[in-house]
Amino acid sequence: MYRRKASLSPVRGMCAALPALLVVLSASFGSAVFPAMAAEGPIQGGTLIYLEHQAHTNLYSPSGGFYPNGGILNQITDRLTWQDPVSLEMKPWVATSWEINADYTQFTFHIRPGITFSDGSKLDAAVVAENFDIFARGSKARRLPVSEVVNNYARSEVIDPLTVRFDFNTPSPGFLQGTSVIGSGLLSHATLQRSFDELGLGTHIIGSGPFVIADEIVGKEVDLAARPDYRWGPDGATRRAWLDRVRILVTPEDSIRLGALLAGQADFIRDVAAYDEEQVRLRGYMLYAPSTRGVNNALAFRPDNPLVADRRVRAALLHATNREEIVTALFSGNYPLARSVIATKAAGFEDLSRQLAFDPALAAHLLDEAGWHLADDGLRYKDNQPLALGIHFALPQPQNRTMLELIAQQWRRVGVQLNVMSGSTAGVIIDNLDPARTPLMMAEVGRADPDVLKSEFYPSNRDILLQKGGQSTKVQSFADARLNALLQAISADVNPQDRLRKTQEAQEYILDACYVIPILEEPQVYAGAPAVHGVSFEAVGRPNFYDMWLGAR
Amino acid sequence: MFPYLLRRILHALLILLGAFTFSFILLQVMPGDAITVKFQDPDLGLTPQQIAEIRLSYGADGSRVAQYFHTLTGMLRGDFGYSVQQGVPVSTLLRTTLPVTLRLAAFSFVVAILEAMAIAFLATALPFAFLRRMLAALPGFLGAIPVFWFGIALIQFLSFKLRLVPVVGAGPYEAMILPTLAISLPIGAPLAQVLLGNLDEIAARPFVAVVRTKGAGALWTLFHHVAPNAILPFLTISGLVFGELLAGAVVTETIFGLNGIGQLTQQAVAGQDVAVLQAVVMISAAAYVLINLTIDLVYPLFDPRIHLQGRTMS
Repeated sequence: MYRRKASLSPVRGMCAALPALLVVLSASFGSAVFPAMAAEGPIQGGTLIYLEHQAHTNLYSPSGGFYPNGGILNQITDRLTWQDPVSLEMKPWVATSWEINADYTQFTFHIRPGITFSDGSKLDAAVVAENFDIFARGSKARRLPVSEVVNNYARSEVIDPLTVRFDFNTPSPGFLQGTSVIGSGLLSHATLQRSFDELGLGTHIIGSGPFVIADEIVGKEVDLAARPDYRWGPDGATRRAWLDRVRILVTPEDSIRLGALLAGQADFIRDVAAYDEEQVRLRGYMLYAPSTRGVNNALAFRPDNPLVADRRVRAALLHATNREEIVTALFSGNYPLARSVIATKAAGFEDLSRQLAFDPALAAHLLDEAGWHLADDGLRYKDNQPLALGIHFALPQPQNRTMLELIAQQWRRVGVQLNVMSGSTAGVIIDNLDPARTPLMMAEVGRADPDVLKSEFYPSNRDILLQKGGQSTKVQSFADARLNALLQAISADVNPQDRLRKTQEAQEYILDACYVIPILEEPQVYAGAPAVHGVSFEAVGRPNFYDMWLGAR
Repeated sequence: MFPYLLRRILHALLILLGAFTFSFILLQVMPGDAITVKFQDPDLGLTPQQIAEIRLSYGADGSRVAQYFHTLTGMLRGDFGYSVQQGVPVSTLLRTTLPVTLRLAAFSFVVAILEAMAIAFLATALPFAFLRRMLAALPGFLGAIPVFWFGIALIQFLSFKLRLVPVVGAGPYEAMILPTLAISLPIGAPLAQVLLGNLDEIAARPFVAVVRTKGAGALWTLFHHVAPNAILPFLTISGLVFGELLAGAVVTETIFGLNGIGQLTQQAVAGQDVAVLQAVVMISAAAYVLINLTIDLVYPLFDPRIHLQGRTMS
C-alpha cells in the first residue's frame, strides 16, 4: 500500500530539490479559496478530524491572534463584516450595510435580523454595542484586556434594535476592517459578563457562529457541532455548515500529526514543516499555504542598545544576511523571500528588495566606517568591546532556531557574533523587553490592513523596536517621532489611496533606517486528505470549517 | 507495628512539607511569573501600568511569606488554587489528567513486571547457553532505548503502517495500548537486570548446591529456593521505578498526545503556572512516599526475618 516508509526519519534538506513543483503549487494556491477537486457538489454531513499542535489558551475574541485560539473563534463567532480573502474588499456579514461619515469618526451598522446566539439570545444592536464597548475599553473588574484593532474609541449608541453607531475621537479608517477580524468576533451578553479567567473553558464561550463548542477536554480536545439553524453566513450566505462535527485534537508531535493524516486517522492538520512537505505531496495529499498578509518574519533591532544605535551597523548586518541561502536551505517554495517589511499580498505593499541585497563587502565597509575593526580573532571590536549581539529564538516561528544559527554563521564571516539564546517562557518575555539584553528580536504579525504596521511598531501597541514610553520601562532614550507620526497617519488617514501611499512611505522609512531585516513571508502551512473539499481560509490564514465538506474517502 | 507506622507517617508528612517548601522557593526564584507569560502578550498590547493592575488583582503582589502560608493552608484544605495559564481551577485540571496518568502508570507497571519476570526466568532456565546469554543481554539493550524514539517507532509501525490501533481520537483504554508498550520496556529493563543479578547470586550460594545434591531439579530449585530469596531487592527497585513512570510521563504523554499529568506539567513549566506546578510536585511526592511506605510494609510478607516493630529497622 505504501511506496515509502512513513515519517520515521523524514528526508530533511530535500526541500532544496523541489522548489519548482512547490512554486507551481503555491501559485495555484495564490488565492485563499482553494478549488474543490471533485466535480460533484458539496455533501452535507460527516465529522472532520483536525489536528492542532497547541491547545487554545483563551477564547475572549481579542485573544484570537494566537493561532489555536483564532482557529476555534473563527468557527464559533461571526463578525460585523467579512473581508474577502482574495480582493481584501469589505463585504456584509452580521451587518447587512453600513455608513461611514466623511472624516471616518462615525460608523453606523445595520444588523441582519433574525440572528441568534447559540444560547438562544438575540444578536441585536445592543449586544453589538456592548461587545465593542468592552473590546475598546477592556474591563478592569473582569480583567478583560483591550483589543488591538479598536483605537481612539469614544462611544457606542443604539439607534434602534438593529442599528448601532460607533463614534471615535479621531479619524479611524482602520475600524471597518477591524470589525472583520477574528479579534472582533461577537460574543453573547452572558459570555461578556464572565471574567477573563473563565474564558479559557471553551464551553463558556457563546457566539453566533456556524459551529458551537459541544464538548471539551481541557488541553486535549474541542468538539464543534454545526448549528442546524445557522442562516447568516458571510457575504449573504444562508446555509448552515456542510460538516456536522469537527473534532479538534491537540497533537503536539509533528511526525504524529503528519503520520496520522497519511494513515487516514485525521483529515486536516496545521503546521506542516517545510521538510515534510514532500511526503504530503508524494502521497497525493493536499498542501495549503495561505499567506498571513502581515509583517514579514524579520529580525528587528532595538536601537536603544548602543551596539545597534548606529544606522551603519544595522545596515551592515542587513547586507551581511544571505536571505536566499536561508530560504533555499531551510524552507520550500511556500516561504517566499521577503521583499519589504510587509508581505506581497498585504495591503499597501511596496517592493523594496533592491535595498535588501546580500553584499558582504558593503557590510564590511560599513562596519569599518562605524569604527568596528577586525581583530586577529576574526571578530570586530570598538574600544575593546566585541560586536556581539544576543537574540532569543521564537518558538512559534518555523525552524527559527536553525534559521538564526545560519544567520549567526553568515554574520561571523563579517566579524559579528550573534548569540542565539533560549530560556524559560517568562524569562524570554522579560529579556525581550530589555534592549540592553536583546539588541535584536524576532518579529512577525498577520493582519490584512495597513494598520498592521502600526500594530507592530507603534510604542503603545507591540512596540517591536522598544521605544521610550512604550511596553518597556527599561528603555533609556530611543524614540522615533517621525516613524510614530507616519504610523499614526496610516491609522488616521481617511482616504484609502492615501493610506496605501503612507503605508509605502512607512515601509521605505523603516528600511531606510534599517530597523528590521525582513527574511521571508510566513505562510501557515496546512495539509488535508484528498477527501476534504472546499478548503478556505480567512484573510490571515485560519481555516473556515464553514465551507469545508467531506467527499468519499 | 503501630508505633512504626506512626513514625513512618510523620516522616512522610515531613517529606511532603519539605517538597512543598523547596519547590515554593525554587518557583519564586525563577524570573517572571504566569502573569508575565499570559498578559505581556504583544497581541493584548497592555501598558506596564495595566499589567501592574492585573498583578494586583491576582494578589500576586503580596509578601512571599504570606503567599507561602496562603498556598500551604489552601492545599491542606484541598484547594490547589487557580491556573492562570489555562483559565480553570487546578482541581479541574487534575480531575481530567490524574486518571489518565494513573491508568498509564498502572498498566505500564504491571506489563513491565511481567516482562522483567519473563526475561529473568527465561534467561535462567532456558536450555541453551547462547539463548540464556542473549536474553541476559536484553535488559541492557532495552534500557538504552530512548522512550521518545521507541514511542514514535511503535506509532509509525503499529498504527500508521499496520493500522492496528489509532493514535489520534482513540478511546480511553485503546489509547493506552501503544504508550504502555513504549514505557514498559525501558521500565522493565532495570527490573529484569536486578532480578537476573539476584537470581544468579542466590544460585551461587552453598545452600542451592545442597538443595541440588539432595536431588531437586533445576526448575524446582529456581522457583522454590532461588526466586523467593531474590525477590526483595526487586521489590525495592519496583518502588523507585514506579516513581520514574510518573516522571517519564512527560515525554510519553507528549508523543502520544495524552492529556495526563506529564503533559500538564510540560505546559505548566512553559507557562510558569506556579499553582499547577506546585500541585504536580505535591502529587508526585505523595505518590513516592506512599509507594515506598507500601513496599516497606510488604517486605515482611516476603522475608519473615524483617520486623516492623522498630528493632531490626532502627
